[in-house]
Amino acid sequence: MLPASDMLWLALVVLGGSLAAVLIVLGVVLARLRDTERRLDEKESRHESVLDRLQENEYRLRTIIESEPECVKLQAEDGTVLEINPAGLRLVDANQPADIIGRKIFSVVAPEYIDIYRENMRRVFAGEAMVYEFRAITLKNRVAWMETHAAPLRDARGNIYALLGITRDITEHKQAEEQARRHQTELARVARLSTMGEMATGIAHELNQPLSAIANFSRGCIRRLRGGGMSPVELIEPLEEVCEQAERAGDILRHVRDFVRKSEPRLKPMDVNQIVRAVVKFTEHEARQQRTLVRLHLDPQLPKVAADAIMIEQVMVNLVRNAIEAMSEANSARREIAIHSRLFGADSVEIEIVDSGPGIDGNLIDQVFDQFFTTKPEGVGMGLAISRSIIESHGGTVRAESSRDGGAILRFTLKISPQQSNRRERADSIHS
Amino acid sequence: MNEPTVFIVDDDQAVARSLRWLIESVRLRVETYASAQAFIDGYDAARPGCLVLDVRMPGMSGIELQERLAAQRIRIPIIFITGHGDVQMAVRAVQAGAFDFVEKPFNDQDLLDRIQRAIARDGECRDRDLHQARLRTLFASLTPREREVLELVVDGLSNKAVANALGLSAKTVEVHRAKVMEKMHARSVSDLVKMAMQRQAWD
Repeated sequence: MLPASDMLWLALVVLGGSLAAVLIVLGVVLARLRDTERRLDEKESRHESVLDRLQENEYRLRTIIESEPECVKLQAEDGTVLEINPAGLRLVDANQPADIIGRKIFSVVAPEYIDIYRENMRRVFAGEAMVYEFRAITLKNRVAWMETHAAPLRDARGNIYALLGITRDITEHKQAEEQARRHQTELARVARLSTMGEMATGIAHELNQPLSAIANFSRGCIRRLRGGGMSPVELIEPLEEVCEQAERAGDILRHVRDFVRKSEPRLKPMDVNQIVRAVVKFTEHEARQQRTLVRLHLDPQLPKVAADAIMIEQVMVNLVRNAIEAMSEANSARREIAIHSRLFGADSVEIEIVDSGPGIDGNLIDQVFDQFFTTKPEGVGMGLAISRSIIESHGGTVRAESSRDGGAILRFTLKISPQQSNRRERADSIHS
Repeated sequence: MNEPTVFIVDDDQAVARSLRWLIESVRLRVETYASAQAFIDGYDAARPGCLVLDVRMPGMSGIELQERLAAQRIRIPIIFITGHGDVQMAVRAVQAGAFDFVEKPFNDQDLLDRIQRAIARDGECRDRDLHQARLRTLFASLTPREREVLELVVDGLSNKAVANALGLSAKTVEVHRAKVMEKMHARSVSDLVKMAMQRQAWD
């Protein structure tokens, strides 16, 4: 639009009717138009440089984000993935952005973590910056542990419009943690095994009470009977006491057995060779101290057995320790323990522990599994009794004998896990 | 009251009853207490006998009871009954003055023999205490001058030497000496010497 002054000029020219004047006016108008155009150009170029800079900035940011080795993503409040960088695509095993952008993040969160994840998102959208861990199941069903640093993103007016998340794969770290934890549990288990001896001492102390009461009552009766002048009726009361104390002793033993087997063993299909190796590890230190060599002769083809691994470990640690102690007490020159595992009959696996110690006195073989039978000066004779009770609660048997070379042989059997034997039968039927 | 009693302190009532039954078979008087505190509360130190104690007891242990009695100068003999693995504790108790200990499970004759010996020891101690107390009363009845005379006579001095030493006449010494013999219920000088030696040994 022409300015008002130019309009005046035009009116004058029209009124004057002068061609020259018209030309001059046109020249002036053109000049002014050109001037305006120039000024507009300048303004535009200034705009353009701002846009350029913005674009440059965004490009720079994008480059940084895209080359960022960790997953960077934006999520909407409902969990929709708005943007994700290539590292993020790799993290969730996406081939292209469309595999994940526009989809809900929950599609890669493990089911048990979805609720927790949702709650964390809610807190970020309430303005909190957070760090959280979760188990992810990627688009290719790979399971991984993730850690996300999340912060709210705000627009110019301060409203939170997205969650900015930086996520990394912490699976290896988690595995190391898990391994450390498992190691701790193993240590605790070893500690429990060594307290079995302490427990036995406590039981011995407990049992001494009713046993000495029984002895006192009985001897009191015998003395009176020998002395004469005692009517049988007077014996009723002390004899009732004797019965009561015998029952009390029985109760103590029952509690021990309950404690040891914690009701019923929890049987699971277990690799018996693996248990043997664990036990060798547990007793490694003592074996080395007593210069005892432990040899394994394990059948690698064995089916799994139905066992409560911890209980069977207790039994085996007990047997191996007995062997180590027997050889060191007898000061045996050759100290060797051989552990065999093999199939036994149609439905069992047998573990055999052979030592090179003094063996077991032929007259005592039948007693070694009895409670309180011991040949050790400090022993209370509970180890083998508990071991037998554990093996029998597994449906197995345990036997002791002396080897021809003079050492002791202890054998016990465990039932093959039913699932395993089914599989074997099925395999057999396929072959036939 | 003068009949010796076996005092049994055991928190396990069945064990305490069985010990009573066993010990009564040799016609000894028995009293049972369920805790060390109950015994301390109920015991009159004038009663003779012995104490049969379980080393391990909840509350005040057998060892603590021993210490309490020692602090009160009650010298009743103590036989400790120890369980599996407590032998060291029992040895320490004996070193601290306990009469003896038996390890569970014990032989009945063994326990009864020890109880008899403990009761005999307690009787001897009480006799000695009684004798000592009597001597103390006798000595207390002497005048200072009579005591001086007694000491010199016991040292083997003749009447004359005593008279010289104390600056008395032989006659006066003779009177004092007769008085001392009478008050001390001594029949001879050697009786007096014995009493003086006993007094020296105990004081």
